[in-house]
Amino acid sequence: MTIKLQPLVFGITLALAAGAVQAQDNIFKGGAIFYQTHDKTTGIRGFGIPPGADASVGDAWTLLFTYERMFRPDFGIELVLGLPPKIEAKGSGTTAFLGDNILSAKNIAPTLLFNYHFGAPSDTWRPYVGIGVNYTIFSDIKSKLASKVQMSDSVGIAGQIGLDYHYDKNWGAFASIGAAKVKTDLIAVESTVLTTTIDFRPVTYAFGVSYRF
Amino acid sequence: MRNIRYWLLTALASGLLAACGGNDDAPGSGSPSGAPATKGSFTAVVSFGDSLSDLGAYTPATSATGNGAAPYVGGKFTTNITDLATGSNTAKVWVENLATSLGVIITPAEVGFAGQSAKCPAAANPALANSCTGYGQGGSRITNPIGIGNDGNDGAALTVPMKTQIANHLERFGSFKDSDLIIVFGGNNDAFIQFGTFAATATQIQTDAAAGKITADQAKNLLLNAQLAGQAEMKTAALELASYVRTEILAKGGKYVTVWNLPDSTLTPFGSTLPADVRPVLTSFVDVFNLWLRDGLTGQPVQLFDANSSFKEVYANPTKYGIANNTVPACDAVKIAAITGGAITDGSSLFCNGTPGVPFNGLRMLPDGTLADVNTWQFADGVHPTVGGHKLISDSALAVLKSYGWL
Repeated sequence: MTIKLQPLVFGITLALAAGAVQAQDNIFKGGAIFYQTHDKTTGIRGFGIPPGADASVGDAWTLLFTYERMFRPDFGIELVLGLPPKIEAKGSGTTAFLGDNILSAKNIAPTLLFNYHFGAPSDTWRPYVGIGVNYTIFSDIKSKLASKVQMSDSVGIAGQIGLDYHYDKNWGAFASIGAAKVKTDLIAVESTVLTTTIDFRPVTYAFGVSYRF
Repeated sequence: MRNIRYWLLTALASGLLAACGGNDDAPGSGSPSGAPATKGSFTAVVSFGDSLSDLGAYTPATSATGNGAAPYVGGKFTTNITDLATGSNTAKVWVENLATSLGVIITPAEVGFAGQSAKCPAAANPALANSCTGYGQGGSRITNPIGIGNDGNDGAALTVPMKTQIANHLERFGSFKDSDLIIVFGGNNDAFIQFGTFAATATQIQTDAAAGKITADQAKNLLLNAQLAGQAEMKTAALELASYVRTEILAKGGKYVTVWNLPDSTLTPFGSTLPADVRPVLTSFVDVFNLWLRDGLTGQPVQLFDANSSFKEVYANPTKYGIANNTVPACDAVKIAAITGGAITDGSSLFCNGTPGVPFNGLRMLPDGTLADVNTWQFADGVHPTVGGHKLISDSALAVLKSYGWL
């Protein structure tokens, strides 16, 4: 019963750990991730909004935590979590005069990746590739243009390439580059109703330390 | 492995469900529903509105002798026509055309100017005691009693707001009846008042920007704020009108209720005089009003008529609708100024008479010596239709009421 009340991540961890535990089957990673957006929007539409109105989303840094469970020496499933970064958007196009921070939100973006690891577990350097699904929820959405802003959740494909460095049996370091399809429909309601679809097209750069057991 | 695969699928499925169901619809994306679909048996047209639906409320103000008595130069916001034998105004606005098509009589609910108004003057003839259900008055707003042309003093237009128009009907008739065809069409004057406020603010901002007191970006921000302030007022007005429809019409017996949204007043001779960069502001006021009116009536048993689209269609295809001119007012402001002794200088059609051969004819004279045609020119003044323009409105009203199955 208590397990059901725990945050999802712990539930998953326990479920995964409940399998037959072998040496180096579990990998924890911690580090920093840079969330670089290459956003495209459909433009901001709304009554009284001049043609060409747009916004662009800034980049963000945050902390990264991942847990990977190896099911074969070369295959694992990795759950990627991060401290939700605050993303900010500024006016662009014909509404550049609006300036910075016309919209801010925190994005909670758990990603589940199926990773293939090249080489053998005993190798010092092991590249890996992964593909999976990213689920992004936007929270704490604030805009100086509207008191009520909704951003739809996003579910999209995610992928990564990375490299593990194994310092010893347990400790190591990693670096990875990832990309995901993150797209949201935004509706901002005040006296007028503004709508846009933001395709964030993020590329992430992550690095940090790993511990396996 | 099997458990994990199951979990993954479940997580993915729940994520997809959340993505689909996680958001409310945008405001104004719903529709009214539940209006009657059966033919009505109408004994009255009950019309609430403004100058477009005004059946002659201010006629005494157009007295040729200036004392409130006949003969009258005008009285309706169109090209007025005087029956020289009886002195009556035979020009019909769209509400009257519609009533005639339904075989019912409609007369003004109140006639006068400032303190000298009389309610239901037609009741002097007992047979017409129930006919005075035309509440529209030039300048009327939705809630605010101080409309256009009303400075709050004597000599001013009545501008009874729609809220009070509805209350007056309930006071006189007690409730709405199944045999009432109820038409709600207003908000134009709220848009004009907000636009006037915006224009004054914008002028000040541009003056300050030109003088270097504020930067160009500051000016743009201030202009946006001025526009947003006007939009906020339009939202309020629309939601108020929708609430009157719900609580004072539908809840009080109204069955056949049609609410019209606002046409875009920039598609008029007046609109064409506006600078291109401020025209979209007035359009946005209309659009914001229409959005919230729809939102406020979503799920309500009324028929919401998209008068805006209908008006745009006519404006874009004038010849298809028999219109030869939709850019120049048929009434001549110079003639009207002369006829009114200089009192009316804006060419208001309230004072425009189109009767051939009378000395107070206010129609524009064309280079060939003929007068503007009140049937093929769409506008009498900057915003009000000629009798031909009114016929187009009543034609579309009839068509749409038929499409509802009400006629």
